[in-house]
Amino acid sequence: MVNKPSRAGALSRGFRLGKLGLTLTGSYLGYQAQNLLLGENEQRQHRFQQASSQRVRQELGSLKGAVMKLGQFLSLQTRILPEAAIRELAALQMQAPPMHPTLARARFKTSLGRLPEEVFRSFDEEPFAAASLGQVHHAVTRAGEKVAVKIQYPAMRQAIESDFQTLRTAGFAARLSGHLDESVIREVERGILEETDYAKEAANVEFFAKALAPLDFVRVPKVLREFSSDRVLTMSHVPGLRLQDFLETRPSQNLRDKLGERLTRLFFFQLFRVQALHADPHPGNYLLNDDGAIGLVDFGCVKHLKPEVVRCYAQFWSREWVHDPGLYAEIIRVIFGPKVSPAEPRARRCMNEIRRFYDEFHPLDKAPKPLDLADAKFMDGLARLAKVLVKNKFLSPEFVFLSRTESGMCNLLHILQARVATTQIARQWMPATR
Amino acid sequence: MKAKRARASTRPPKRGKRAENKEKTKRAILHAALELFAQNGFYQTTTSAISRKAGIAEGTLFNYFETKEDLALYFFEQELAGIIEWYHGNRRVEAAPLPEKLFAIIHHLLERLGPYEDFIGAVYLRALRPTSKLSPLSLQAQEQNLRYLRFLRGLLDEAAADDEIPRLGDFGAYAFGLFQLAVITYWLQDRSADKEQTLALLDRCSKVAVAILKRGGWEW
Repeated sequence: MVNKPSRAGALSRGFRLGKLGLTLTGSYLGYQAQNLLLGENEQRQHRFQQASSQRVRQELGSLKGAVMKLGQFLSLQTRILPEAAIRELAALQMQAPPMHPTLARARFKTSLGRLPEEVFRSFDEEPFAAASLGQVHHAVTRAGEKVAVKIQYPAMRQAIESDFQTLRTAGFAARLSGHLDESVIREVERGILEETDYAKEAANVEFFAKALAPLDFVRVPKVLREFSSDRVLTMSHVPGLRLQDFLETRPSQNLRDKLGERLTRLFFFQLFRVQALHADPHPGNYLLNDDGAIGLVDFGCVKHLKPEVVRCYAQFWSREWVHDPGLYAEIIRVIFGPKVSPAEPRARRCMNEIRRFYDEFHPLDKAPKPLDLADAKFMDGLARLAKVLVKNKFLSPEFVFLSRTESGMCNLLHILQARVATTQIARQWMPATR
Repeated sequence: MKAKRARASTRPPKRGKRAENKEKTKRAILHAALELFAQNGFYQTTTSAISRKAGIAEGTLFNYFETKEDLALYFFEQELAGIIEWYHGNRRVEAAPLPEKLFAIIHHLLERLGPYEDFIGAVYLRALRPTSKLSPLSLQAQEQNLRYLRFLRGLLDEAAADDEIPRLGDFGAYAFGLFQLAVITYWLQDRSADKEQTLALLDRCSKVAVAILKRGGWEW
């Protein structure tokens, strides 16, 4: 009895997933698995995918919950899905089940004991942004401070758990496992579930506010604890424009370069110094300003990295492993796990591909010239690298959120069309080899 | 919550002082009974305990309520009347689109029932007995429901007049009444934090229901 309605929900989602599964096996992933990763016949495939990805989007859109998040995740992630599908899925990023004012207010009240209008001087009933698990409202506190109030849709956690359950029974995971290991899907699930706990997010915000203090151009919101709980999160307003809106102001190349440089510094500082990442790199989470300040918001997805993972990643940049078999073996152990021998051809293939990519775009010269991220060649190179890594099942759970953040960051810099001295910045905080 | 309950009274038709006093006593008894139900449960609470708590003789209690079931009936009458009164005094809800309106009504009902969950659970079980006054077959219960169903019908008629949905007649009110009953049943056994599963169910269902109605769903 307890689970009846939610089981019915899971069933109907299962039915949809079945349809989605048909779309996928009938035409999409199966076809893609054979041809796409090999990159032949671009034109024909493109037409084919466009229609197919539209269907995928419709299906994912109606599923909300976990599948949508997984879709988004893949869209930002390793380019497992082809370009057309990524574009379609990217459109889903900012969508969530909308809440009417009655529901949003009810959520606020059950969580904090009082209605928003009893607590704030003013509260905007129309949300200004949809978060994937809820929505965000503008408000002004009694003290006159402008704040953003994030309110979570009810029972998201249960819906996500149930969707992942369905994903497994519907065999979707098995079909994906040609590309993704079950452990990777588990890591994604863990990350997504963590996003449902706003108390955790509040702690993340406070952690990063402190950790990023040395970077004076970064603005992190302040949590207003008295108006926050595990389902409602009230934070100070962070000024700035989202990438798309910012680009509409036609910023100069100088400004774009400056912001690009700072975004890169933000990434490497987190990675090498803090050893924890704001791991939800979609463009809406970076707020850009004319004076070069960068607002960083939405700390739902944060990944604390193991030191050895950071060290291995640093090796991609320093390439000391090329001449040091011990380092090479350690990288293989960390990424593929202890079962894979460093001598295995697929391990060697992956590492060679990584080396080729870094040699081409991040050369070891003393003072390499800035990287032009507007150049499609770089993005193509990144996609090529991702294809090889995915094909060889390179992605370990530990790397999931790191590579997601990295590729998201590259994507951001590409859209921003910035020129950035990436190598010099990376070297600045790189940890010692051992 | 208590203050709210006191405010949420029915709109009694004009009547004399004696009737007013009578109504007052009835409410005092209900108030005392609800407290005891919450403390000791519906079945364990005796009528003598209720009369003691209400400060009246046990014989007097029977003048007002023959059985505990009559008390329960009176409780629901008060609550449903309270909903109607709340609705008419709430501009925001009156002006909301139909899915939000339906959501708001049931949500408000659940908020009111919140403190009496155990009692309502017991009443539900009791109502399954065909001979119970609380049974849907009892004329007394049906008379009470009728007032609420008329209110619902008026609400759906308004939505139809605004072209939000097709005209449904009495059937719409019955359907909504049944839906409300189903949601309360779900709510009673919802063990999620703050009963948020019920909230999600209610939100999805009210949207889906109105979407089906808009398409003229009854035809197929």
